[in-house]
Amino acid sequence: MRGRDRLFRRAVIGFALVPVLGFGAPGQAPGQRVASLNLTADEILVEILPPGRLVGVTRWADDASMSNVAGRVPAGAFRFPKADLEKLVSLAPDLVVVSEYTDADFLRLLERSGLRHHRMAGLDSLAGQRQALLDLGRAVGEPDAAARLAARQEALLAELARRLEGAPRPRVLYWANPHTAGARTAIGSLIEAAGGENVGRSLGIEGILPLGSERAFVADPDVVLLGRWPGARAALEGEPLLSKLRAVREGRVVEMPTGLLVALSHHAARGCWYLAARLHPDRVPPEPPEAVPTRSVSPDPSAKTPAPSSRR
Amino acid sequence: MSTAAAEDDLSPTGDAARRRRLVFVVLALALPAALALGVSLGSVSLPPLGVAGSLLAAAGVPLEPAGLDATGETILWSVRLPRVLLAALVGGGLAVVGAALQSLFRNPMADAGLLGVGPGAALGAVVAVSLGWAHEVFLALPLSAFAGAMTAVVTVYLLAHAGGRPSLHGLLLTGLAVSSLAAAGTSMLLVATEEFRVRTVLFWLAGGLEGRGWEHLRLGAAFILTGSALLTALARPLDVLSLGEEEAAALSLPVHATRMGIFTLASLVAGPATALAGSVPFVGLVAPHALRPLVGGLARRLLPASFLAGAVLVVVADLAARTVSERMDLPLGSVTAFVGAPYFLLALRAHEGRR
Repeated sequence: MRGRDRLFRRAVIGFALVPVLGFGAPGQAPGQRVASLNLTADEILVEILPPGRLVGVTRWADDASMSNVAGRVPAGAFRFPKADLEKLVSLAPDLVVVSEYTDADFLRLLERSGLRHHRMAGLDSLAGQRQALLDLGRAVGEPDAAARLAARQEALLAELARRLEGAPRPRVLYWANPHTAGARTAIGSLIEAAGGENVGRSLGIEGILPLGSERAFVADPDVVLLGRWPGARAALEGEPLLSKLRAVREGRVVEMPTGLLVALSHHAARGCWYLAARLHPDRVPPEPPEAVPTRSVSPDPSAKTPAPSSRR
Repeated sequence: MSTAAAEDDLSPTGDAARRRRLVFVVLALALPAALALGVSLGSVSLPPLGVAGSLLAAAGVPLEPAGLDATGETILWSVRLPRVLLAALVGGGLAVVGAALQSLFRNPMADAGLLGVGPGAALGAVVAVSLGWAHEVFLALPLSAFAGAMTAVVTVYLLAHAGGRPSLHGLLLTGLAVSSLAAAGTSMLLVATEEFRVRTVLFWLAGGLEGRGWEHLRLGAAFILTGSALLTALARPLDVLSLGEEEAAALSLPVHATRMGIFTLASLVAGPATALAGSVPFVGLVAPHALRPLVGGLARRLLPASFLAGAVLVVVADLAARTVSERMDLPLGSVTAFVGAPYFLLALRAHEGRR
């Protein structure tokens, strides 16, 4: 249960969102002092901003069990223990990066306090995550750095797709007692990019919804995917019905590090690789290659500007 | 109990009158003191003199040197002041509703929960969140919660009147049934709501004033102040009702109309208070309960005193909620419950001991 809460918390914090509301308007200068209120943005901004421009991140950014940038956040950045508007105002950022699930009333108060915000959106697919990364790069005035990150992500995914070409797709059930991930979810995209078939989608589920152990049992997945948190596997193996799943009996249970399982930033590509290596060990080595050839990614697809190099 | 209190009120001794005056003076001083603390303390401390200077300057009495720096001004005027004032309104409103319903139902355990307000508001809030309105549309969450609260109240009213004029007992049981239905609907929707959205509802259900600004205050003030004032204006009929329905009818009081008027006003106060702050339990029980021995059971004294005490209680509770922990805001509803429940149990024990 604690594990599920942790995933929940990570995902809520990390799920960046919605259409780009607070930036990108003609004539608006990119944010120079940027504060982040979601972990996905933390992970991206640590990569693309000079340290002095990142004035605040979530406290989760330092939590190695959830964050992919633990230990890399500039010491000078304030760690928000909560979405504290007063503290935010006192830091005087000129851009606040919020999540899709930041409610509209809070955003209005941000505006009333003179703070511009950028809302990340569409993180329920790898393509959406890539676009959100590029949008964030534009919002903070670092489109090239964001495009380089996106290119690295694309290259890793392309390499993965190449290795998985023609491979049989095991049927994978994500299980977070009693929830599973269906279509239009980041975890569903992760499973599919890793060369699996998402059982939740096959069952007609959309979003992350409760499934129920009986339906899960009848679905008879080839592999069960769990988040790596205390008690998750024991709970699965102790569940009267699910413990009898063919996948459980035959030991085909993959526990993914939480930070990778729910990564919605460019780190999602590493998550795909991690899972693919467990689903297709004959085709995918455990660790991704240090350097993969990158395809160029335009920071602004509509502008068709020359692509940046893959160098960071 | 109400009858005895009322009789006691009608023949006050000089000591009792002095005690009542003292209670009102203390409450009248405690509220501005609580408000001052509330606007001065928070995750960013604002100097009280600076706050006073800024407030006086806004009232047209500029002080030298001026109150706060630009950041402090923004925090005070955009974030903290509307929040603290809304806390006072919510607390005052819930306490008045509690006092009025306790007189109406002649039951010291009565509060806004009897009307179906809380479960109805929760259902409205969950609808707003699960459909995504709360994340996209300004004020969608409180407005939807208010609509849910009012729908529940109207449903209670209509169902209770389906078989003619309901007894108080019938009204109570109908409220209970509608509340259960609304709670069931809330649970069903929560289960079917995308996991990431559920957290917004959890925060609302736990009670809190984070993210509330002037618009929320205006919305709440229109209903809560007007409703509380009208309830207080109905103090005399309430006192007559507290003698019992037969006695009230013998005194030519239109019992049913009065009861329904109070019921409606209580809903119009409790609905917005709950919609704006989520679940803030025990305020409507504790404030009137604590004051009844001090100011007596007469509604004309108990209601205004309850408003002041409820306002102080929630302003202080909200202050605690946002300052006790640096890591997180405590849920406001948990703070009032942590204070209210033990108080209530002690009072209950003392009451049992006297019997």
